[in-house]
Amino acid sequence: MLFNFREKLNSSKFLVTAEISPPKGTNVSAPLEDASQLKGLADALNVTDNQCSIMHMSSLAFSKLLLDEGHEVIMQLTCRDRNRIGLQSDLLGAYALGLRNVCVMTGDFPSCGDHPGSKPVYDLDSVQLLELVRKLDKGIDLAGNKLDGGTCFCMGAVSGINPQEVLQLIKLEKKVGCGADFIQTQAVYDVGMFEEFVESTAHLDVPILAGLIPLKSLRMAEYMNEHISGIHVPEEVLSRLKTASDPVEEGLSIASGTIKELTKLCRGVHIMPIGSHKNTPRLLSMAGISPK
Amino acid sequence: MIITSAKPLEEILEILKDEDDIFIIGCNVCAAKLKTGGEPEVLDMCRRLEEHGKHVLGWALPTAACSIRSYESLVEKNEKIKEAHCVLVMGCGSGVSATANVVDLPVYGSNNTLSLGGSSSGKLLSNQCIMCGDCTVGEFGGLCPKSQCPKGLLNGPCGGSVAGKCEVNREDDCIWALIYERLKKINRLDLLYVIHAPKEHAFK
Repeated sequence: MLFNFREKLNSSKFLVTAEISPPKGTNVSAPLEDASQLKGLADALNVTDNQCSIMHMSSLAFSKLLLDEGHEVIMQLTCRDRNRIGLQSDLLGAYALGLRNVCVMTGDFPSCGDHPGSKPVYDLDSVQLLELVRKLDKGIDLAGNKLDGGTCFCMGAVSGINPQEVLQLIKLEKKVGCGADFIQTQAVYDVGMFEEFVESTAHLDVPILAGLIPLKSLRMAEYMNEHISGIHVPEEVLSRLKTASDPVEEGLSIASGTIKELTKLCRGVHIMPIGSHKNTPRLLSMAGISPK
Repeated sequence: MIITSAKPLEEILEILKDEDDIFIIGCNVCAAKLKTGGEPEVLDMCRRLEEHGKHVLGWALPTAACSIRSYESLVEKNEKIKEAHCVLVMGCGSGVSATANVVDLPVYGSNNTLSLGGSSSGKLLSNQCIMCGDCTVGEFGGLCPKSQCPKGLLNGPCGGSVAGKCEVNREDDCIWALIYERLKKINRLDLLYVIHAPKEHAFK
């Protein structure tokens, strides 16, 4: 039996991770209820860190609440809001509370969110943050001081999937070079493009979990194409949504088809629905992924 | 060159609402070039403040507001400063602070200071340097990502950079796309693979 996410990464199993957002407030009942639908289905739950620069409860606090509910958790950590002292302090705290998986990223700029005038920190970038985590794992801090008890994180990073974006590929190479244990990607709609991405990163030898955001309407798909960085919804998908009598159902059908194709290309999927996970169990069932 | 923009007159009047007998100090370097504190702008400010009932005693235009030798050097330029109750500096933030170092009066600024920039081929260049005190710009072909990327990323673009454009303002080029072109031009694309350590931000 596989217990934790690192062991699962080392197995040959097709993995499912899912994104959960902490609440905007102190009432945790709705996101905990949302997460409970994924028990036995998701191998780990990513807890977002003030995603889209919109202020929410801390990723660390909500990760601990999910851990207490028996979930395997991946705490997301961005470079936007904390300097190197704050990042290290939170990582040590997370580890002491029992969290063992992190996924680090740069973080959207504050002007994207609901506190546009806040000071952007970015003391470290995502590559430097990965290096920092590995130092904590070795029992030293970023300044080289010895820690009284280090960490042992399973550490993830994120990536876009456009093989034409050479600079993004070089950055991914740096992330893997810094010891990233897994990669979660931007949402995949164009499987052909993703396949090219997988081929162009094959030499990196790192487990890749393909991002998936089920579409709910043609408008949503068009919005993604226009406004979300690195997302490309192909014409064929747009036309399926356009002619569908039930666009939500069609979106699930498109997503389940994508998952089936992804099982041949990468190590897993990372599901990031807009709104709740109400449809996620059915989506996975449609894709032939059964509860464990 | 320090890039400044002039505050709206309404804001300046609000700042000066409890002040009168004003002395104005311009700046004949950066602010003059940007038309936020040269002689024409100083004279215009005198006129507009007078129109709004403020008494402007006089003005002076040192070579650089950020490099004032002494209070006496200002008196040499215009003795009226001795009668002033406050000073309005039409330079950058550094000019305001440098003036406050030598003048024992309330000192205000008429500009917002935006960045350390420059100009080239007639084009204004903003955010050329953040004066981090730990310069490694040569490793990026001479273009500084710490100052020209809104996130100051040293190891490549963020995921928001698409088709060479910046996440924060889609009209702007992503500096990393420009660094790529520059390194390609000088045959140093190998530098893109270097893992850059965090900057040391010791107060200097």
